[in-house]
Amino acid sequence: MRLVWTVGLVSAGLSSKVLANQWNMPVGVTDVSREIHSLHMIIFWICVAIGVVVFGALFYSLFRYRRSRGARASNFHEHTTLEIVWTVVPLLILVAMAIPATATLKKMYDTSEADLDVMITGQQWRWRYSYLGEEVAFTSNLATPRSQVEGKSAKSENYLLEVDEPLVLPVGQKVRLLMTSDDVIHSWWVPDLAVKQDAVPGFVNENWVRINEPGIYRGQCAELCGKDHAFMPVVVKAVEPPEFESWLAQRKEAAAQAALGVDREWALEELMTRGEQVYATICASCHMPDGQGSPPAFPALAGNQTMLDDADYHIETVINGVSGSAMPAFRSTLNAVELAAVITYERNAWGNDTGEAIQPARIAELIDSP
Amino acid sequence: MWRVIQSVLAAFFGVQKESRRTEDFTHGRGFVFIVVGLVMAALLVGLLVLVASLAAE
Amino acid sequence: MASHLPTGSSASQQQSGAAEMTSDTHHSGPTGLMRWLLTTNHKEIGTLYLLFSLAMFFIGGLFAMVVRAELFQPGLQLVQPEFFNQMTTMHGLIMVFGAVMPAFVGLANWMVPLQIGAPDMALPRLNNFSFWLLPVAFTMLLATLVMPGGAPNFGWTFYAPLSTTYAPPSTTFFIFSLHLAGISSILGAINIIATILNLRAPGMRMMDMPLFVWTWLITAFLLIAVMPVLAGVITMMLLDIHFGTSFFNAAGGGDPVLFQHLFWFFGHPEVYIMILPAFGIVSVIIPTFARKRLFGYASMVYATASIAILSFLVWAHHMFVVGLPLTAELFFMYSTMLISVPTGVKVFNWITTLFRGSLTFEPPMLFALAFVVLFTIGGFSGLMLAISPADFQYHDTYFVVAHFHYVLVPGAVFAIMAAVYYWLPKWTGHYPHLRLSQWHFWLSVVGVNLTFFPMHFAGLAGMPRRIPDYSLQFADFNMITSIGGFLFGLSQLLFVLVVVLCVRGGRKAPAQAWEGAEDLEWTVPSPAPLHTFETPPDFTPYRH
Repeated sequence: MRLVWTVGLVSAGLSSKVLANQWNMPVGVTDVSREIHSLHMIIFWICVAIGVVVFGALFYSLFRYRRSRGARASNFHEHTTLEIVWTVVPLLILVAMAIPATATLKKMYDTSEADLDVMITGQQWRWRYSYLGEEVAFTSNLATPRSQVEGKSAKSENYLLEVDEPLVLPVGQKVRLLMTSDDVIHSWWVPDLAVKQDAVPGFVNENWVRINEPGIYRGQCAELCGKDHAFMPVVVKAVEPPEFESWLAQRKEAAAQAALGVDREWALEELMTRGEQVYATICASCHMPDGQGSPPAFPALAGNQTMLDDADYHIETVINGVSGSAMPAFRSTLNAVELAAVITYERNAWGNDTGEAIQPARIAELIDSP
Repeated sequence: MWRVIQSVLAAFFGVQKESRRTEDFTHGRGFVFIVVGLVMAALLVGLLVLVASLAAE
Repeated sequence: MASHLPTGSSASQQQSGAAEMTSDTHHSGPTGLMRWLLTTNHKEIGTLYLLFSLAMFFIGGLFAMVVRAELFQPGLQLVQPEFFNQMTTMHGLIMVFGAVMPAFVGLANWMVPLQIGAPDMALPRLNNFSFWLLPVAFTMLLATLVMPGGAPNFGWTFYAPLSTTYAPPSTTFFIFSLHLAGISSILGAINIIATILNLRAPGMRMMDMPLFVWTWLITAFLLIAVMPVLAGVITMMLLDIHFGTSFFNAAGGGDPVLFQHLFWFFGHPEVYIMILPAFGIVSVIIPTFARKRLFGYASMVYATASIAILSFLVWAHHMFVVGLPLTAELFFMYSTMLISVPTGVKVFNWITTLFRGSLTFEPPMLFALAFVVLFTIGGFSGLMLAISPADFQYHDTYFVVAHFHYVLVPGAVFAIMAAVYYWLPKWTGHYPHLRLSQWHFWLSVVGVNLTFFPMHFAGLAGMPRRIPDYSLQFADFNMITSIGGFLFGLSQLLFVLVVVLCVRGGRKAPAQAWEGAEDLEWTVPSPAPLHTFETPPDFTPYRH
């Protein structure tokens, strides 16, 4: 009763610009999300109905049997039939509720006959998407600039829900989502798709989605995964299958181009420019934009003598990570060019003027032979 | 024995008659109730597992 | 044991014990600080527990205020994410292990002996030990805030591997302090069981016990069953961190999900540990102010037992999106739905107790009634969360935060406050100040709903929990929640004022402070003298 009452009061009090789906679970754009939404509404109204009866009886008693109105206490304290009734009735309601819930759950668990497989890997604090069998893979990072977070510039419409590269999926096709993690447990969630699944390191979870309408759907990591848990959004761009095919072909082409770049000799400035971008999206959240880090968990890179003295150690750390610490292995996250660029950048930025350019070819050799 | 099972079932269900309760507590032996309770809890788990696996088929 | 002793010796032991006790009253023991450090008196230890819990309630509350201040607006204004995560973690740990659990143990210490007509707890020295473990444990836990790398920052559920491989160095101290708190709980539970089973007044059978005693008996068994599981899981974490094992590390053949199974096998009964004594308190207070016997006493006891048993069968409903097999998912959905039935029975029984009673609305009754209403709302959202497919949308959002805060704040915390208002006349000999108590009640009710109700909407709209910054569509809900949180936090200062005033003076309370109160504690004078029921009272079983 209170629930309806509050909802009613609050929604009456506010203007009509407050859309229903900002208050309630979104209906979503898949068959499963619709079913989940209707389960949610059914159980909600059941609760409201029980609430009306229970709170009605409670408040009736509170007003009717006040001593100040001369109520005398009667002395009944048992009624087995009544007790059995109010135990059996909720039990039956629950059984009735369990049946559609079971049916929906079985659909959600049926990952067979997928048209496309996408591997989703959680990393502190970004998502990596890999189209299995298509040789297309990329990472998806938060695109909201730091200045908006710190309040130094106005917040954009999709504040914290925008990424540099969204996951592109075809509409109308069954896409199997395979989830895992490189470090801690993350959870990949897009409310409009009603997919939320934990990405557990060392294990692969399965889920699936068949999107009905083209559009951009936003969500975020749902499982606490460290300091930037709030800053790893998920954006899915659903497009018509022909558009998806051409996008995929374009990405394959770009990947091939990038592979060519590995063999040529890169100039220091070129690597620095590229490295600065990579550093800002990947490294700056822990090691800070100025390379000062936040010790003890995240060591400073600026003026880090161990790192500057030994380029091999530096490369090894970035490629393979440091086991037992928060430093992940980047061998599969970044390609050879990006790795070379970011390492070069770290060895030359913030007064680390070693003048060394680490060539992509040198890195490629290392990451191709594990 | 049947009475004990009935009483334990009532406990699982959460409803019991006062008179019946008094009788259990004056004549019954606690140990028997605990053993039957544990067995019934195991049966409940078994039943739920069965229902769940049938539903999952 | 006792039966193997020659009867003469046990009798003489009893005599010497009795002699000690009487001599105790004549010659005064240590005074000042040492008196409190060495006390074995259940009332003094109860007071210590309650004061400790109050202190922790404010410290944990302060952390919550930091969280709410940061979330007042989108963007990072006051604290950095690292510190924010430490605040949410410490808030949860302090409130669960430092505030709610010790408060219930404190109430048990004070009231269980008085309600069953026992002279003291069965194991008084152990009682002293279990209390003094707590300040040590929580001093250590709070000290982690100033350690390098900061305090634990992985949430009160401390999921591995975030809490092992990726944890700050202070995690070791966190593990140790949780071990100490766990030992304290187990010893306290043993003491309560021993007291209830052995020290009841002659003629008081189990089914004559007040419901507060019953619910605590069942809670104590739950504590003994699950605290060792917690101890086990944190020990496994310790081994993973320092001794090279891989229980929760997939790279070494372990399983991070194993952690969650173990944690929630402890964690779900833990939830009931925090609510069953609250059921007991409300079941004692409502009949008093309705001037009518509790409806379905036997069913209340049976439902409590039923909830306790079922609480071991539902743990994985906290893990619906972790990738459980379909059968497991269904099993835990069904068992979770089942547990709502005995819980519903309790609510129906309370309402039927009110029906055709003769009601008055003193402060304890106000809090007890608010408990019934608001706990039921928490129960409804719990029922919604039990629907596994829908939980894929609710899980780890503010909807869950709203749910468990409704169960724990206007649930457990309001019940504790109801108990304090109910028994303050017995503890201090004075009634709490009526107007101030009413102000405290209404401000708390408004504050609590303003804080936690909008969280339902934020969660349904898609806001994950444990984030220091959020997208713009959640801004309004968070602002209301923060304002409500500050209101609720501030109004608790009023509570302290009421308690302090009540200790120092106020309207004198007779032995039977409330007209409809009938349990044994109301037969001793108010304030209760240090030693009560040195000779067992005459107990006439009528009531239930």
